[in-house]
Amino acid sequence: MSRWVKWMAVAAAGLVCTQAAAQSRYPGVGRTATPAEIAAWDIDVRADFKGLPPGSGSVSRGEAVWEAKCASCHGSFGESNMFFPPIIGGTRAEDIVRGRVEALARPGEQRSTLMKLSQISTLWDYINRAMPFNAPKTLTADEVYALTAYILNQGDVVPANFVLTERNMAEVQQRLPNRNGLTRDHGLWETRGRPDVKAFACMANCGPEPRIVSQLPDHARGSHGDLAAQNRLIGPVRGVSLTQGAPAAAAVAAAPAARDPARDLAEKSGCLACHGAKQRVVGPALAEIAAKYRNDGGAEARLVAKVKSGGQGVWGNVPMPPSQLQEQDLRTLVRWILNTH
Amino acid sequence: MADPMRIRATVRDGVVNVKVLMSHEMETGQRKDAAGKLVPAHYIRSVSATYQGKTVLSAQWGPAIAKNPYLEFSFKGGQKGDKVVVTWEDNKGEKRSDEATIS
Ligand code: HEC
Ligand code: HEC
Repeated sequence: MSRWVKWMAVAAAGLVCTQAAAQSRYPGVGRTATPAEIAAWDIDVRADFKGLPPGSGSVSRGEAVWEAKCASCHGSFGESNMFFPPIIGGTRAEDIVRGRVEALARPGEQRSTLMKLSQISTLWDYINRAMPFNAPKTLTADEVYALTAYILNQGDVVPANFVLTERNMAEVQQRLPNRNGLTRDHGLWETRGRPDVKAFACMANCGPEPRIVSQLPDHARGSHGDLAAQNRLIGPVRGVSLTQGAPAAAAVAAAPAARDPARDLAEKSGCLACHGAKQRVVGPALAEIAAKYRNDGGAEARLVAKVKSGGQGVWGNVPMPPSQLQEQDLRTLVRWILNTH
Repeated sequence: MADPMRIRATVRDGVVNVKVLMSHEMETGQRKDAAGKLVPAHYIRSVSATYQGKTVLSAQWGPAIAKNPYLEFSFKGGQKGDKVVVTWEDNKGEKRSDEATIS
């Protein structure tokens, strides 16, 4: 699962439980979250299915939703490895019997989501909170059930006439190809037969304070650019700033720039999820787009039409999905891209 | 026997769009295994699709196509509820046919 999504989940949980403490220890700071605010964050589905909303979805409904909202990135059969390793594939009937996917043990084998998945709740929860990538949290509960059913059917975990509901999720769990595959006895890398890290949560008497014993040597400091500027502005990880000594510049980079309504619109409309100002994300950098059409008078109208209808082929074969925005807003966005980048 | 193909056929404005995912190793015959031995070539050599007995696609393939090939094509004149049959044959003479109902 995405680190980003996990991080958000942890952050949300943290928000809720530190609230009471904040109230008493720091009077005047913050306020108690309203039940509605908590409910909006509290969407996680646990392995024991606590948090799973009622609903139902058939494989065939899932197929239709998948074609409309997911196939452009993941392929019609979940087979595409263009954005992300395949969602479906590599599981066999024997794996379903054993609850352990044999191909995972083979080195070099492409690993699909369905091969690795050990909890059906994780798949449901992930789709519900994070997909489609360009419009998360827009699916109804029934659609999430249907999509989950479709993915399971493509892996022959459930038959084509199957209807997934909150009541039969537990039965499906018992058929997941890798349900017995979860191990905690490994690190990110194996070194000399032992995991490199094996962390246990520790709350008290956890041993000596860590001490920094070595640092990036000076000659290597800039080799990947200004690390601080490349990290998200949230979370504990900042990276080394190369602009230390010029704190004013760093502060400018960190603080949100002065409000620009066109930029806000781009952010709100999800454009920035795929387009960085200077970096390629899923789509080309905005600066690249501006540079390409700098001396092209007819570009504005053509690009408005392109963003409206979506398409591929100009920058590669990754498609841009069509936009639901009004013509007026599209024009504002395209002008903003072309004139200020 | 090889795993079944996944086939999806949908009709829109008189044009049937067919998407096929085949399950096949597609060994090129150029690759060596861990012991340094050549892995024998094993790849799909011909693919055809028929609608009501008429061939709507016929293709000759070779070892340059990747493992588990994905194929998409369209043809005119198909009806909802009818079947499309896709067949492949590989260089070892192994064959597989699967069908899908147009929706
Ligand atoms: C615009 C492209 C795009 C679209 C459309 C899209 N996805 Fe994704 N999907 C991604 C990307 C990129 C990731 C990896 C995200 C990450 O790790 O942060 C992903 C990850 C996933 C994963 C997690 C896989 C894993 O093993 O962690 C699932 C499941 C998934 N998508 C399902 C869906 C479903 C269902 C839909 C349709 C409702 C959908 N996606 C639509 C791009 C897309
Ligand atoms: C899911 C990812 C995604 C989202 C969201 C997205 N784009 Fe794109 N965009 C792309 C991709 C991929 C391309 C390259 C398409 C191509 O190669 O033809 C692209 C290309 C473009 C281009 C250049 C088109 C050309 O023909 O040169 C413009 C302009 C653009 N996007 C603007 C926008 C705007 C405005 C939004 C928000 C309404 C937006 N994009 C949202 C992925 C995205």
